[in-house]
Parts: sequence; structure tokens; C-alpha cells
Amino acid sequence: MFKLAWASLWNRRGSVWLTVLAIAVSTLLLLGVERIRVQTQDNFANTISGTDLIVGARTGSTELLLSSVFHIGNLSNTMSWQSYSYLQELPGVAWHIPMAMGDSVQGLPVIATNDSLFDYFRYGNKRPLEFAAGHNFAAANEVTVAVLGAEAASELGLRVADDLVIAHGTGEISFSNHEAHPFKVVGVLAATGTPIDRGVFIPLAGQGLVHGDYLPADVHGHDDSHEHEHGHAHNEPPVYTLSAVLLGLENPALALRLQRTVNTYKAEALSAIMPGLALQNFWRTLSLFERALVTISGLVVVTGLLGMLTTLLASLRERRREMAVLRAIGAGPITILGLLVFEALLVTLGGTLLGTLGLYAVLLFGADLLQSTLGIQVTASLLTKRELALLGAIIAAAILLSLYPAWRAYRNALADGLTVKI
Amino acid sequence: MTMSTCVELKQLEFRWPGAQSALLSIPELTLARGERVILRGASGSGKSTLLSLIAGIHTAGPRQVQVLGHDLAQLSQHQRDRLRANEIGYIFQQFNLLPYLSAVANVTMACQFAPARRARLADADREASARQLLTRLGLTYAQQQQPAQQLSVGQQQRVAAARALLGSPALIIADEPTSALDQGHRDEFIKLLFEACDAQQTTLLFVTHDATLVPLFPRAIELDEINQAVTNV
Repeated sequence: MFKLAWASLWNRRGSVWLTVLAIAVSTLLLLGVERIRVQTQDNFANTISGTDLIVGARTGSTELLLSSVFHIGNLSNTMSWQSYSYLQELPGVAWHIPMAMGDSVQGLPVIATNDSLFDYFRYGNKRPLEFAAGHNFAAANEVTVAVLGAEAASELGLRVADDLVIAHGTGEISFSNHEAHPFKVVGVLAATGTPIDRGVFIPLAGQGLVHGDYLPADVHGHDDSHEHEHGHAHNEPPVYTLSAVLLGLENPALALRLQRTVNTYKAEALSAIMPGLALQNFWRTLSLFERALVTISGLVVVTGLLGMLTTLLASLRERRREMAVLRAIGAGPITILGLLVFEALLVTLGGTLLGTLGLYAVLLFGADLLQSTLGIQVTASLLTKRELALLGAIIAAAILLSLYPAWRAYRNALADGLTVKI
Repeated sequence: MTMSTCVELKQLEFRWPGAQSALLSIPELTLARGERVILRGASGSGKSTLLSLIAGIHTAGPRQVQVLGHDLAQLSQHQRDRLRANEIGYIFQQFNLLPYLSAVANVTMACQFAPARRARLADADREASARQLLTRLGLTYAQQQQPAQQLSVGQQQRVAAARALLGSPALIIADEPTSALDQGHRDEFIKLLFEACDAQQTTLLFVTHDATLVPLFPRAIELDEINQAVTNV
């Protein structure tokens, strides 16, 4: 029976190959989309951990999340340095990372912060940031220094001790380059697989300097036209405004109470969000897109299977003779039915196998390309239960679909018997 | 009915579902074992229907068709398929073979659904038996290896005959097997078929519309003479 089905398929290998290919491509697409979906979700959830609250000026939670964690978009409102001082004094605050965004280097976001970032920021399973080369700001003892994320360093082609020019605004091309203040790269972070990789980090004082908020003691007085010339006391803040502050608490259970405290702060309108919750909410808004993607790839699979159905149905006509011969040598109608289902099974197995192999080929050889062009991280891990279930579903659907031509063949076999008029 | 009877029809009445009148109405017909019979009838006279009844594809009423002592109406579909596989070799007018299999594979396929035929093979090796038969029917070794679709029509019919003969079934039904052959090939084919049937003591029921073949057979039956159904086409 296997030999017969195989020989018959081989005889029609031209159209059968195309069918196998169609199923392979649709399988590849379905598995690929599934994998990207799951891994994107994983990457997404891993972008930040250990941070209990993110505080910014009054805004929506998604905006605050996007700008502080993903460095996407611009916060139109900023919070004052006074509010930051207030946050630091709140009971139960273990650590705090100030962030000021808005500048860019060739489209990469510039984040002005302090060394707390390298000390306290955690991602994935509470992993700290590590330096691949160089060191943090404090060790440089200067304000015009920068630490680059792994991807930012390779994209800019900069290494430790190279110079960097920062542009105002977030566009790729900017007309106001702060060329007067080139920054020196003092450190490069190890890759994290999070938006940190694309970041250019400078000290708050460095940002204050280029924006004219802050004047180091030796510059003070030389430039008489400077508007901030007056009154730079030693405790003067490096910048007057911040985009966001990440807070770590001594007891994460206090987050909810502290959130309310911040949200009702009278001196300035602030928003505090819990990153885990905000990430979940944000992912939920993305799930529509995700579902559309899954639906489309599902439909492609259906198209592939319908192609197989068409091939099988079209072949039935020309194979009525074959069926009559099989009946003559004693094959029962059930055998004929089984033969067709078996053929469909072979074609689908071949297609899904080829598609799965294709997936691994893409994962092994195209992972770098995916990472660099789409920023999607995928790994060539074993098939998950869900992926196996998807493959099973494709095969089951194929068998189910093949029952129709098989039933037609069964009917033909019963009606035609041994006499076929063509 | 004795053991020397191969096919026995008694009071056979058959009409297609929905048909107004009976297509076949045959009071009695008996084919003895080893007999060579030619059944002649015009197109549309019910020849093919009669053959499908004997082959067990379609069924008539109880005790109307008996093959080798089995009342076909009493057998299940599967049993009839099995009986056909084991005891009946069938040769079509043409397109007898699966075009993508080699000649020899087409012949051995006869045993696919037929344990009894496998058991009767002289040589335990199916392929060796098939080759012997094909060689006897005049196909060279190279031709036996070729895909069936590359053989000439005459060669294909000989492969079909070999498939029908393999494993010595009790009955061979040949439905106009020579109509696609020219006269030279036709006579040679019938001669080979006779020899093989004689060697295996196989009953041959040869069906044709061609009256010129009648003199070649020891017994001839005119379907119109035994069929009492009024055919008003």
C-alpha cells in the first residue's frame, strides 16, 4: 500500500512537488510567526525587572513606559529636579535612576542618567548590566563622557576612547549638532537583548552642559551672554528637568501605596506606573496585531492545504482507470479511500517536514539578519509543545480535507466498478 | 452444482436502480471448470453488467449468481472483493496496467490482496513467478523492467494476461481484450491465453462483440439468445 501510494505520487511528481512546496512554505510561515511571536513576547517581558515604579510627568502609562524603557517617542512633559529630590526622600525607596531623554546620535537614543543605572538597573531574570569594555561615568572624572550599548557601539563603529557628537532632537539628521562638546566614549556595555543595547548613555551633567543648564566651575564666567550665568551654587542640579525616574523599593509590596502617593503629589502633576503591569497592558494592545499575524499565517496554511485538495481532486478523473484496475485485482472501496488519504498524508508529512527544516535553516543562517534588520531575536531551539501541536493540526486538517476526494474516489469505485468510460 | 462448476447463473434478474425494465434476465447459464467460453453480444446488450455481477462488483438476488460454490449475494462486500482477488483474473479492453509501475510490478500486484494466489505460486518468490509468466508470454527481460506506459499496446495486453494468470485463479474474465489489437497480434494473444489457461486448468470467459473470434472457441454463447429481458433501447 505504501509502495503503491509512493509510486503513484512519484508518477505525478511534478504537481506533487509543487503541493509539497506550498505546504512547506505555509508551515514555515506558521512556525516562523509563532516563534517570532513567542520570542518577541519573551524579549519584551525581559526588558526590565526589579524596577518597582517608573515616575514621570503626568502622562499615559504607555507613553511613560515606551519612553523610559524602550526609548521610543518623546515625552512632551518633563518633571522638575525638585520632584526628583522629593522622590528620593520618600520612605522605602532603595534606589533611584534619573533619566533625561530627547537627544540622539544618528537615530540612536541618548539617555542622560547617572551611575545608578549601571549599579541598579536589572533586566531579564534580575540580571545587572555588565561592561564589555571600559567603565562607568564616575571613573572618568569628566562630564563629557559616554557609555554605549552593545548595538549602539557596533552601529556607530565606536570603541572606548573614541569621540562622539550628540545632536539635539531625535531625528536621524539634525541641524543642531552639539559639536562644541564632543563626548568621549569611556565604556561599552555587554549585549542584553533589550533596548539598552541601542542606548547612548551620558551623565546628566553632560546633557546639562550641551543644553546650557549646567556650567562647570572653570567655564563659569567666561561666557557673559550665557543665560544661566548667575548663581551656580555647588548644590545646583546638573539639569533642571528629567523625563523619568526609575525607582527600586526596599519592599515591592509598598509599590501600590507609593504609586498613590506620587500620583497625588501636589507640587507637580506626576504619574507613577508599575512596569510589570504596564508591560502587560501594552502587550495586550499589541495582541490585536499579533492575532492578525497568526490569522494570516493560518490562512496561508489553509491555502496550501486547499492546493493539495485541488491536486487530489484533479487527479481523480485521470485516475479512474487506475482505481478500476485496483478494484479488478480485489482492492475494496475502503482500500481506495485509504490509498487517497495515505497519499495526502505523505504529501503533508513531506511538506511539514520540509517546512520545519526550512525554519531551522532560517533560524541557523538568518538569525543575524533578523536581529540586525528587524531587531527580532530568535534562537534555534527545539520545537515547543505548541509548535508540535500546530504541526499536528496541519496534518490532521490535511487528513480531514483528503477525506472528501477519498470519499469521491470511494463513490467512483463503487459506481464504476470495472467499467470506466473515459 | 458440483465441484466441476465454476460459474452458475440461475433465474438471474438484474435491473439498475431506477431503471424501468430488467437489463438481464437469464434463466440458466453454467460454466464448467477449465472451460473456454466466448460470450458474444452487441454493445449495450448488458455484457459489462453481467461481468460485474460475476466479478462481484454488483450483486443480484440470492442464489442467482454462484461462483465456485459461493452465492455472491450471501457474501459481504469485503468477502466478494477477496473472492475476486483470489479466484478471478480480469483483463480489460485496454489500460489494464498502472502506468507508473514496471511490467513485472504490475503482474505481482495481482497477489497484493490475494493470499490464496500467493499461496498457489509455484515459486515462493512472487517476482520470479511473474517473470516466468512474462517470459512465457514473450516479454524480454528488459521489457519486463520497463514502466508499463512505455510498452506497446500488444505488450501491455500480454502483461495484463500475466497479471490475470499469476497464482492460478479459477476464472479469467477477459472483457474485449483484443479490441485494441490488430489481427496478427489478436490471434497470437488468444493463442497465448489458451496455452496459459490450459496449463493452469483455468476457466476462461472471453467477452467480445466481434463475431470473427467465435470459431476459435470450443463453446460460444450469444448473450441475446440466453437473455430474455426485452431490450428496448
